[in-house]
Amino acid sequence: MSGDDRYDDHISAVLQECPGVDRDEIKAAFQKYEEEFFIPPQDAIRSIIRRFKSETDTKPAAKAGQSNRTTKKVNRLSELKSDDRDIEIEVEIVSHNVREQMIRGESKSIAFGLLEDDPWQEGGGERTRWEYKDWGNNSNIAPGSVVRIEGASVNEYQGRMSLNINQSSRIAVLREGTRPVVAPGEPVDISDLPSDGYVCIVGRLMSSRPDQIHRRDGSGSIDVIRGRLADESGAIGFLSWEPFEYEVGTLLKIDGAQVKTFRDTPELNFGRTTKIEPFHDASFADTDSLKEGMVSTISKLRDGSKDVEIVVNITSWEKRTFTKEGQERHLWSGQIADPTGQCRVSAWTELPIETSSLPLTVRITDARVRAWQGIPDITIDREDQITILEETPWEGELDLENLKIEVPLDELVSGPSRVGISTKGTIVSVREDSGTIMRCPECRRVLREGQCFEHGAVEGNEDVRLRLVLDDKAVTCALLISKDAALALLETDHPTMVDQIQANGSMAYVQTIRDKLLGCEVDVTGRIINDGQGAMILCDGATLSTTDTGLKATELRAQWGLQ
Amino acid sequence: MGVAMMTPSRQIQRQPAWFMLASEFGESTLNEKGSGEFDPTFVITKLGAKVNRVVVSGLVERLEIRETSNGSQMYQGQLRDPSGLHYFSVGEYASESMQEFIVHLLGKVDSGEPVLLCMTAKARWYQTDEGAVYTSLRPEEAAIVSRDRYASWLVRACAATLNRLDQHQKSLNCEPSKEAMLKEGIHKELIDGLIAAQAHYGQIDTEGYRLNVMQALDIAEGKMAAATTAPPKLNLSEPTSDDENEGDGEDLQAVILECIQAMDNGEGVDFESLVRNLGARGFSREQSEAELDSMSDEGILHEPRFGWFKIVA
Repeated sequence: MSGDDRYDDHISAVLQECPGVDRDEIKAAFQKYEEEFFIPPQDAIRSIIRRFKSETDTKPAAKAGQSNRTTKKVNRLSELKSDDRDIEIEVEIVSHNVREQMIRGESKSIAFGLLEDDPWQEGGGERTRWEYKDWGNNSNIAPGSVVRIEGASVNEYQGRMSLNINQSSRIAVLREGTRPVVAPGEPVDISDLPSDGYVCIVGRLMSSRPDQIHRRDGSGSIDVIRGRLADESGAIGFLSWEPFEYEVGTLLKIDGAQVKTFRDTPELNFGRTTKIEPFHDASFADTDSLKEGMVSTISKLRDGSKDVEIVVNITSWEKRTFTKEGQERHLWSGQIADPTGQCRVSAWTELPIETSSLPLTVRITDARVRAWQGIPDITIDREDQITILEETPWEGELDLENLKIEVPLDELVSGPSRVGISTKGTIVSVREDSGTIMRCPECRRVLREGQCFEHGAVEGNEDVRLRLVLDDKAVTCALLISKDAALALLETDHPTMVDQIQANGSMAYVQTIRDKLLGCEVDVTGRIINDGQGAMILCDGATLSTTDTGLKATELRAQWGLQ
Repeated sequence: MGVAMMTPSRQIQRQPAWFMLASEFGESTLNEKGSGEFDPTFVITKLGAKVNRVVVSGLVERLEIRETSNGSQMYQGQLRDPSGLHYFSVGEYASESMQEFIVHLLGKVDSGEPVLLCMTAKARWYQTDEGAVYTSLRPEEAAIVSRDRYASWLVRACAATLNRLDQHQKSLNCEPSKEAMLKEGIHKELIDGLIAAQAHYGQIDTEGYRLNVMQALDIAEGKMAAATTAPPKLNLSEPTSDDENEGDGEDLQAVILECIQAMDNGEGVDFESLVRNLGARGFSREQSEAELDSMSDEGILHEPRFGWFKIVA
């Protein structure tokens, strides 16, 4: 410890408050705070004074505070009076138009349109429709969206009421618009397409084939064209209800196509109002390079994808037999892997695959993808969809045991379900049901008070599980750690855990887990399920991150030019 | 394919936690709350973080039991990090495990033992009748941590703060709109907060946050001598003093001008927004109303239409 007199001023300050205390004792206290707890003297001083002052300090009078806002909340527009201001209401936006207006010599964009109350149709009655003006240039008002408007005011002009959304008003989007307006004629990249709505794109025709859609009532069929379009950002399937006679390879500008999303896969629909014309752009990527870009990887597979082309290793293969309608049928299924991950494959026809020659590298074309529990399953219907390759397009062997793709948490949480991932984050919560649990011997469901949701009162099997929450990069994700990984992370074993829980109770045990993990950074591996109810990682391996604090601090200084 | 996922409406989703030093949280005077029963509340910091939940760490400086008006018990405490203090409270609504923890903690703190804590907590906010805004924390889970875990938290809180400082700086160069901010490379999760923060706080001085970060980094690296500053002025016997909340006429006038300047996009600023903003800065409604009147009389402000104020150029 450098400079013995470094605390002199602080010690004097303590002595002023607590006369008669031994200097050395105060100094020792400062040293302890600093060395054992990283608390500098200016921050430790109050705690030290409090300790030396045996008489407790006065209590500050508790202040009861109430916000003095007088927001008027209403459900229906009819409840509003012409002089109401600072109102709050939930509405559906019917239309939204932007107009440039000169206000005191300055051009400003003012939006106006129609809105309707009772957006959730709870009232059962007729909706009321009003005009509105948005002075706040709110970017989140879109036709079809349901929003909560806070701080709007009512305007009455010649007996007609309308709503003014002021600059200070807040718009909270409760339901995204299902009809987003993309400026007509402004092409969007395929990867940026919304999941619903009318769009304009420029893309190269990669494939097209006639198809028929059979009316469900058996009244006939409709001729349609299916195919794919691609640009440098990606590819998308389309369905044309109108005649579509362009050659593969043609660059097309398509205005007024409708995006529809089936499962997780968007598709373009061309109808009567869609304008399709050849487009000229010499710098647009050619068919060959776009084709390369269309070859998928396991990490990109989505439920509902069609026309998938992919090169993978088949790592396991088995034949299953089942009976359907008295007939014996066969299904082949296996595991596949590429450098981006692992998933499943199924075939409804026998393929030239010998289990003895595995792993086998194959190219699969024209396949469709279904997902089960979020894990993609590529389905092969015909033998000609598969080509056996001599070698893998990637270098080296895939280490299947350790094939974990490192993905940042924000990407995982906003993406689809995936297997074989690794990520990192901070543990921000240890749920109170972490520790030992009882599982139903039939279905492995966790028992609640000895009861299985499905099988009633059963004699459960004891298991270990941690239920945590992992945060990173402004996203949050549930984290379930299975037995072996949990015991390894806590550096304990099952009997010890049971002993401790029996000795001190489960709450006390949860606290010991928090003492060990809360606020710590961890590296985890496993798979993620993302089903729209929030993301959840099923973790089979977790270790506390060993980032060197000093090193990280030095990096930060360098990165941000501090000192 | 980067197609935006539709998020189901009205689903209660857990809010992520922010790593944040006490100064940034404590200086916040803006909040946001939806009308729905389960809509999250946010405290919006000057750097644009929309905070519902934080991970904080520091020294427990004080922990006491209070009787509340309905006769139940409430634990109130302070947590100090290098940048300042967090105020937190644990009441009957806290989880069973949190209540067990706080009893245990009280024993430790009472013994005079220094305790470093790490906790995840919900952001709380309240405004007094005079309009002063206080932030506090409601801990969800907490753990007693070692010096090294505290240091690790410090570094991560610093990294997060530096990142926000950078994003805030970038936001000054562009229009306060979502599109412009995305173009400027500002992270999606900060845009709403930055727009709201700019409208509410106007121009801010960020130097204090940088100094906090530098000091916290010194501590995390164990450079205690460098992190030592002179003893603070102590006013332990009077923990709360209201003097900073009582603006005199001059101050109020300056704040009004500042507010209008920051919020006026050509139309002037409406009365309600002004009063609310002034309230957040500690001026009562009556005070503000009177001052707006007299400023209009003096010709400093004019009302282009009723209830909308502009500065006379």
